[in-house]
Amino acid sequence: MRLRAGISAALASAAILLVGWQAGAQVTESNASAVTTSAAGNTAGTAGGTASGTGSTAKGTTGSSASGSSSGTGAGSSSSTGSSSSSTLGASAKAGGTYAGTAVETRFGTVQVQVTIKAGVITDVTALHLTDQEQRSVQISARAAPLLRSEVLSAQSANVQTIGGATFTSEAYLTSLQAALDAAHF
Amino acid sequence: MKSQLLASPGQRVGTSPGQPPVPARRNPTRGRFAAQHRRRMFRTDMLTVALWASLAAALALWLADGGMSSVGNLTQAVTAVGILAGLAGMDLVFLMLLLAARLPFVDGAVGHDRALEFHRKLGKPALYLLLAHGLLLATGYGMAEGLNPVSEAVALWTLVPDMWLAFVSMALFIAVVVTSLVAVRHRFPYEFWYFVHLLTYLAVAVALPHQFSVGGLFAEGTWQRWYWLLLYIGTGSALAWFRIARPVIATYRHQLTVRRVVPLVPGVFSIEMSGLRLNELSGNGGRFFVWRFLAPGMWWQAHPFSLSAEPQVGKSSRQPTLRITVRNLGAGSARLASLKPGTKVAIEGPYGVFSTAARSREHVVMIGAGIGITPLRALLESTPFAPGQATVLLRCSSTEELFLGDEILELCRKRGATLFHLTGPRSANTQSAWLPASAGTSRLRDFVPDITDADVYICGPSAWPA
Repeated sequence: MRLRAGISAALASAAILLVGWQAGAQVTESNASAVTTSAAGNTAGTAGGTASGTGSTAKGTTGSSASGSSSGTGAGSSSSTGSSSSSTLGASAKAGGTYAGTAVETRFGTVQVQVTIKAGVITDVTALHLTDQEQRSVQISARAAPLLRSEVLSAQSANVQTIGGATFTSEAYLTSLQAALDAAHF
Repeated sequence: MKSQLLASPGQRVGTSPGQPPVPARRNPTRGRFAAQHRRRMFRTDMLTVALWASLAAALALWLADGGMSSVGNLTQAVTAVGILAGLAGMDLVFLMLLLAARLPFVDGAVGHDRALEFHRKLGKPALYLLLAHGLLLATGYGMAEGLNPVSEAVALWTLVPDMWLAFVSMALFIAVVVTSLVAVRHRFPYEFWYFVHLLTYLAVAVALPHQFSVGGLFAEGTWQRWYWLLLYIGTGSALAWFRIARPVIATYRHQLTVRRVVPLVPGVFSIEMSGLRLNELSGNGGRFFVWRFLAPGMWWQAHPFSLSAEPQVGKSSRQPTLRITVRNLGAGSARLASLKPGTKVAIEGPYGVFSTAARSREHVVMIGAGIGITPLRALLESTPFAPGQATVLLRCSSTEELFLGDEILELCRKRGATLFHLTGPRSANTQSAWLPASAGTSRLRDFVPDITDADVYICGPSAWPA
């Protein structure tokens, strides 16, 4: 009886692990394509942001999966960091414009956002760089960023809830955003 | 002295010690109890499978999330092992809670005591896995950020929301396991251990936030989050239902009150209780209930005692009664002797497989020592056997301690069971320490030649059957 139980348990466990493994392999594949598309989207967004003439910067990080993103932002910028750009942009203050926040380092990669202000209203938040160091964090930040963006737009401040399951991304996102808002004297 | 009081029909009387017995092996897979036994064994096996499968499922959650693809270097490997340790550790905690939840399925398959024994065995592995989870993640995250594990742990505590709760949870888990280690437990009263043990629920509860907010695996919108949530909800409801709702319902249903306390010998007494719908409890002779006598200063003490008689209902025209027989072994049970008639009684149970549910063969052997004799009386009353197919061995240090001995003698006579009394001080011979000195080098087979083909019920001090 014990033998039968042992064998059945081993078989069942092995089957479950195998199914998990297979599902994982598929997730990885589909993620890979999702990452490429989201990276492409990011590139377009940030390219637009940088093209608007702020001369803002993104830290040119390297990262295999987010290479599209970094090359896109890197094209229009030097290697200076957000803090320097905020000091230069601080002068132009309340008139509006686009301001980049500081690049915040997290264990899952750098997070930097850029905020667009028109007539004292936050009209847009663009992610210049999001967490990308592990497969999973790319997925998480891709999901969290739009949620954070819409919350920030409705709250009109960086004082919003973090997204469950995306604590690191949220914290870094909001920190970077606050720096950008400070720079804009918003 | 060894004395056979009743010879069963067709059985040799007084098998001479030392004579090689001839075990009459019959096929144990036949007979009326065989199917029941097979079902029970099947359920036991199912539990084993479910247990391992749940552990595999916890690890598969991580695999299904593409976990393997994220392991590229040492830092990521340390982090991954840390995550897996957390998943496995928490799964073991869920299993431990379910084992302690008095699920009827578990109780019927392996019995309450074996379930709790296994619960205890899982305690240390679960704690080690949770500790490894904390240490490995502090190390892995620290390596990624260039911090040592200690500063990383401080950073986690201070910077990441919900993480301080996880640290509190870890401290509680450590406290629970440490106070449950046998050596430590004997230094504290039971109630202290019990109170600390209740902290487990708090530990599990405060561990939840960081799993869902910091753990990317259980991020919003993932099916893993739902699976994990279901584990939490399922375990919580099982505990609420079987440990709280069911006992409350049983207490109200049966409305037990103490009828009288009957002293047997000094320090040993029977408590008789009357109540409603006791016929629903018949067939549970030998199984135990957890009793709470709702008298001032006693109500919070829970006493696990077996029934010493089948519930008495109906025909005898008396009020339906339950009976337990208690030996005065501690401060708690000593006070029970002074229970006043009319005291209300709250019950949980019946629990355990010391009943007909555990039978697998036709022949049955019941061995009891000391106060362990009393549940045998209830079992002897209810479990089916043909005349001559039951043997009862009662072991105690003096004839005075043959608790309920007269009732057992009467039952054996009525049902055709063979009865041995084994009385006297312990033998010095460690080989046969379970026997009185006067029995010499007798072995169990000398009393019950075909014991290999019988169900054996043993009830006595834990050191005694060994």
